[in-house]
Amino acid sequence: MTANDQAVLDAAEMSPQISRWSRTFDYMVVVVAAFLVISVTQIHFILLAGDWDFFIDWKDRQYWVLITPIVTIMMAAAFQAVFWNLFRLPFGATASVGLLLVGTWIVRLHGWEGLAYFPLALVVPATCLMGAIALDAVLSLTRSWVLTGVFGGLLYAALFFPSNWVYLAPYFLPVEHMGQMVSLADLIGYTYPRSATPEYIRIIERGTLRTFEDSAVWVSTAFSGFACIFTYMAFWWLGTKLCTPTFIPTGRRFRAAMGLGYGNKGAK
Amino acid sequence: MTSSIKRVILCGLGALTILSAIAPQPAMAHGERATEPYIRTRTIQWYDVKWSTEKISVNDTVAVTGKFHLMDDWPDAVHKPDKVFLSNTSPGAVLTRVESYINDMPAEQSMKNLVVGRDYTFKMVMKGRIPGRWHFHPMLNINGAGPIVGPGSWVQVDGRAEDYRHSVTTIGGTQIADTQNYGVARVLMWQIGYILIAVAWLLWWLRRPLIIPRWLATQKGLDDLLVTRTDDKVAAGFLVLILLVVIIGYINVKAEFPRVVPLQAGSLYTPPLPEAPKLVMVKFKKAEYDVPGRSMRMSIEVTNNASRPVRLGEFLTASLRFVNNTLPAAVAAVDPAYPKELLPFSGIVVDRDSPLAPGETRVIKIDATDAAWELERLVGFLTNVDSRIGALLFFYDDKGARYITSVAGPILPVFRKTI
Repeated sequence: MTANDQAVLDAAEMSPQISRWSRTFDYMVVVVAAFLVISVTQIHFILLAGDWDFFIDWKDRQYWVLITPIVTIMMAAAFQAVFWNLFRLPFGATASVGLLLVGTWIVRLHGWEGLAYFPLALVVPATCLMGAIALDAVLSLTRSWVLTGVFGGLLYAALFFPSNWVYLAPYFLPVEHMGQMVSLADLIGYTYPRSATPEYIRIIERGTLRTFEDSAVWVSTAFSGFACIFTYMAFWWLGTKLCTPTFIPTGRRFRAAMGLGYGNKGAK
Repeated sequence: MTSSIKRVILCGLGALTILSAIAPQPAMAHGERATEPYIRTRTIQWYDVKWSTEKISVNDTVAVTGKFHLMDDWPDAVHKPDKVFLSNTSPGAVLTRVESYINDMPAEQSMKNLVVGRDYTFKMVMKGRIPGRWHFHPMLNINGAGPIVGPGSWVQVDGRAEDYRHSVTTIGGTQIADTQNYGVARVLMWQIGYILIAVAWLLWWLRRPLIIPRWLATQKGLDDLLVTRTDDKVAAGFLVLILLVVIIGYINVKAEFPRVVPLQAGSLYTPPLPEAPKLVMVKFKKAEYDVPGRSMRMSIEVTNNASRPVRLGEFLTASLRFVNNTLPAAVAAVDPAYPKELLPFSGIVVDRDSPLAPGETRVIKIDATDAAWELERLVGFLTNVDSRIGALLFFYDDKGARYITSVAGPILPVFRKTI
């Protein structure tokens, strides 16, 4: 235990025995919270950005780059607000995005490959983990949710494409198939059929937005960063609201144990 | 109920839940009977559908070919086929798609502006990947309307799944031995690296006294105790590390893969098949469905403008083929491999079935009786908001030449014979 840890325990007025119990409580909460975070982030992400992450032939230069950071920063900001406001722990974004990735791999391996026979090359996930760590680091350094929203939000979106391109680039090699040039990702998507996902249903780059090396990526990234700033702030506010106890319908003993005083039962 | 019984029931339910989650259960049907009858009988009629074989080995191919007709009486409630995608239904990627064509044009991407009232050919070549007995249908997805499934046949795939290979050579000459797992090791390597950085960041904080002590310290406003100058240095270090990893990684991958292409998203157009002269004209008169008798009866007025006498040989709707078993040309047109459940044994009974002479007009009555109406869930038109039925009629002359025409009209539910 470091001197700083002891100082925190002293500030909390915890005896060595109580601090050991407190540590056990920490382990229990961390394990339970991990499952909770996996569930929440999975459901949220699947509902709002599912297809772009499910399939390799949805990872386009426009919408995938735009939507994935905006959706994932929601839970990242909300959990960051909870952990920061209550415990001054700047790891909410890393935890939520990291656990989302772990949960995603479990589902891809068990459900998509194991039950539906989709090859992993078709369903490799992307991740915003690099951006999430950056978001937490910025919060830790600035201790300000406004500055984190502005600089961290931009960084979060900016890191998404390059941090994923390092391993997804090979899927965009050109291939000739049936006399047409397609990307390898297109070919993989075509080869391994998904009955309920016709080609036209893909919401991918169909517009005429082209700039910066004939690519829409950085324009989408810039807009994604702009949107991430405000999305972050909105969900920070939501996380703050949700972790603020306004009504505690518990008995005197619980209130005493939680250091809430011996006031009236159910008081504000 | 005693608590022990409750425990047993709860344990049983828990075991069932776990079993159902772990044990893969291949789909035996694909909802082809769930689509409303007015859609299945009045949008796309699949005909001349043939499967090249019923049995293949892993890495062997099976082709399904045929034609489809887009009905004139297309329901208002269903989007027009402005954008479609030729696909297949099978339980997951047990068969992989090698090639697909509409009117001999590659249908790798979506097709646009198909013409209602006209016909198209299709072909799809599939390759065995997972051993098993799989139900395999052609299917046309219509943007805004959903999938319209064609007839399905069982295909047996023998061999070992481990033997399946889908190898590709890119335009740049890169050899890809098997697309199934191509690039996955690279993805895992990078993502595990990212996770290790994340775990290091999490452990930096999780190793300390956490929930209660930090919460109490936060309440006392001791922020400097909870996030120290050392934490600032560590955070800055992580930030620099991340930027370095991402920027250097990105520069390297750009150099490693200088020529990449975006996802291809355009749609293609193909004109319909040339329109055949309408030599046999059909005018719908009346149709009814005898509910207890499971019998569809239809009255039509037929005019023969062909140069030879014709007879009605087949009534086709929603892939159900009611064949006039008294007409050899119609019977001979049925592929022996066509799914038996879609080929009602009794066929159609046509009154006044004598050949219709050139220039002659005659009202004939068709009786298509079979339990298939119920089994194929085609009697939902009794409860649909658009209670109409459509079909293709196949006439044959004495030389065996075929004349196809479509018919559609309202259908009445009845409990006694009226026509």
